[in-house]
Amino acid sequence: MRTTLSTLALAGVLALGLSACSDSTTAEGGKPSGKASGDVTVGFSVYDMQYEFFQKMEKGTREAVEAKGWKFKLHDEKSDENEMVTGAQALLDQGVDVLIISPFKPDALGPIVAKAKQKKIPVIIDDIGGGGTPYDAIVISDNADGGKQAADYMAQQVAANGAKSKKVVSITCEPSAVYAARRNQAFDQQIKDKGFQVVTELSGNSKAEEAYKIMKDALAKDPDVAGVFACNDPMGVAAANAIKDAGKDPVKGIVTVGFNADPEAITAIGKGGLSATIAQDPAGMGAKTVELAAQAINGGKLTYDDESNREVFQKVTLVTKDNVAQFAG
Amino acid sequence: MTSDTALPPAPGAQAPAPTTETQRRWARQHSIGTLWETWGITAVLVVLLAASPLLSSDFLTVANLQSVLRESAYLGIVAAAMTLAVMNGTFDLSVGGQLALVSVTTLMGYAAGGTGLAALVAVLTGMVCGAVNGALVTAMRVPPFVATLGMLFVFRGVAYVLTQDGPKTLPYSEIGSPFVKIGGLNIAGIPLPFLIMLACYGAVWVLLRRTATGRRIVAFGSSPEAARFCGISVHRIRMLIFVVIGVSVGIAALTYISRVWTADGSAQDGFELRVIAAVVLGGTSLKGGKGTLIGTFSAVLLVGVLNDLLVSRGVDASYQRVVLGCVLITALAIDGLRTRFAAPGSFARMLPRRRREAPAP
Repeated sequence: MRTTLSTLALAGVLALGLSACSDSTTAEGGKPSGKASGDVTVGFSVYDMQYEFFQKMEKGTREAVEAKGWKFKLHDEKSDENEMVTGAQALLDQGVDVLIISPFKPDALGPIVAKAKQKKIPVIIDDIGGGGTPYDAIVISDNADGGKQAADYMAQQVAANGAKSKKVVSITCEPSAVYAARRNQAFDQQIKDKGFQVVTELSGNSKAEEAYKIMKDALAKDPDVAGVFACNDPMGVAAANAIKDAGKDPVKGIVTVGFNADPEAITAIGKGGLSATIAQDPAGMGAKTVELAAQAINGGKLTYDDESNREVFQKVTLVTKDNVAQFAG
Repeated sequence: MTSDTALPPAPGAQAPAPTTETQRRWARQHSIGTLWETWGITAVLVVLLAASPLLSSDFLTVANLQSVLRESAYLGIVAAAMTLAVMNGTFDLSVGGQLALVSVTTLMGYAAGGTGLAALVAVLTGMVCGAVNGALVTAMRVPPFVATLGMLFVFRGVAYVLTQDGPKTLPYSEIGSPFVKIGGLNIAGIPLPFLIMLACYGAVWVLLRRTATGRRIVAFGSSPEAARFCGISVHRIRMLIFVVIGVSVGIAALTYISRVWTADGSAQDGFELRVIAAVVLGGTSLKGGKGTLIGTFSAVLLVGVLNDLLVSRGVDASYQRVVLGCVLITALAIDGLRTRFAAPGSFARMLPRRRREAPAP
């Protein structure tokens, strides 16, 4: 027992020593990186190369970097916050001139941006979120415009279906996804302006099974719903399934619109199982981050679409049965 | 290695009989076999370090070496305590859940009362987690495998419950806090997390090699029956082991979360298996009773260095996992072959049975 106690005491001493050590701060010296215009290296830390979305983003980024005759260094976060912090900081240590990052966990951007500030390296965020850090710019899809396009298309298709009802359903992503929330906000606003009424608006937490239940309940409450908009495609397809299971048609009966242009949604649109979705352009986003990187390296002012939030928007495209062939495969 | 005089005899040849017992013991302790057991993985690490400049020009820079050491610390600290458990013939599958839970409570502690409280909460949460495991195994007689597997889910679950309204994070405004320095500070160019890791290995080494408790841990691992007959209380020892693991997770989580700044229930998924893999790679036998701290220490660094080299070579993430898995299996295969051929007459035994049995009466 004596040794048990002494071991615990030992551990306690370690912990104390730990907090004592941390007070003796010596700041790491930050030196601005010298950059000749022909010798620029861009570091890109990507969310996870397993996903097609980020493969396209990486391709767009790399091609834009190579088009400028710059060097490109890739780091894969592998959907791991520890790997994200370690690897992105390693890119900064390797002397990249600008860091582009699509963060797996925006909240873990703090130590990365802090180190970049110390070394005076600009940070451009690509999608996901900025985690409240002083990054130089963030590129995101024009979610508000996507929601607006969805509302316009829905109003037009409801009229084409000859439905008398003006009731629609809006299924949102998880409340913490602030950028995705703009899709439903803009949709709600635009559809109301067209004289519709949002009778059910609930969060499906981005999950298909929750969206299915929301749509099932919404149909039980208002059997004459004319349209539904979901914040992402898994939820859009799930809502379409709920409509089918209720004996209705998710295109000609109730207009169903998703968001993202996931393969499952593209297939469904082709087969008449979904009305429309909104396609994001990850490669275009990548190219935009490189443009911003060029502005930052040249010491110029960055051009924002939303100055106060340092946001830059990438155009989104409405995908319907008319143009779905372009997005297939 | 200075043991060329103690090379094992060539197969078939008669070994020159050592004249005295001292010589015989010296030969046993310094044979290639025992040297490999203790220093094998360290030798592999040294070879890999020597070859590293050929594999990646960026490897031997100060910043990169600091990065590898800083990154290895949290795994290494828990692996030190896990070595104790494995030598005792048990292991703790819940350390991943503990790390997630401790990380979450530490950030809550920081939000409530700054760096001091965060450090205290980290160590206390770890200690409580370990005590729960220990109580399940000793008082409730649940087999360690089942108890810690169950608690892995419970700890992660509690961490999820605590982060239901979003992950716990360190806000950017805390950038100058001493808490951040735990993970980021360098003392004389050496990252603080690595120094903490060294201190932990020192502490565990003292416990293992300089106390009766340490000897009891190993004794029980090599022969539970014999240890029981000698009056060693397995429960007291198991309780201690699980608490030490919990405390080690507390300390490790401090070096982890002060670098990563955010945690929820999903933090460090699969951590427990990486820890046990490092311990096993370091030469500690899963059957208990045999193992070295230096082996675990070198194995942790080996994994860190290998990972860094693979990343800088641009090896695809999927292949990195394949490589690490193959290294683990190769190391154990070498160990298995070595044990097989170390015993006298092992080559003869490899031959078909009948030929050996023929001359027997």
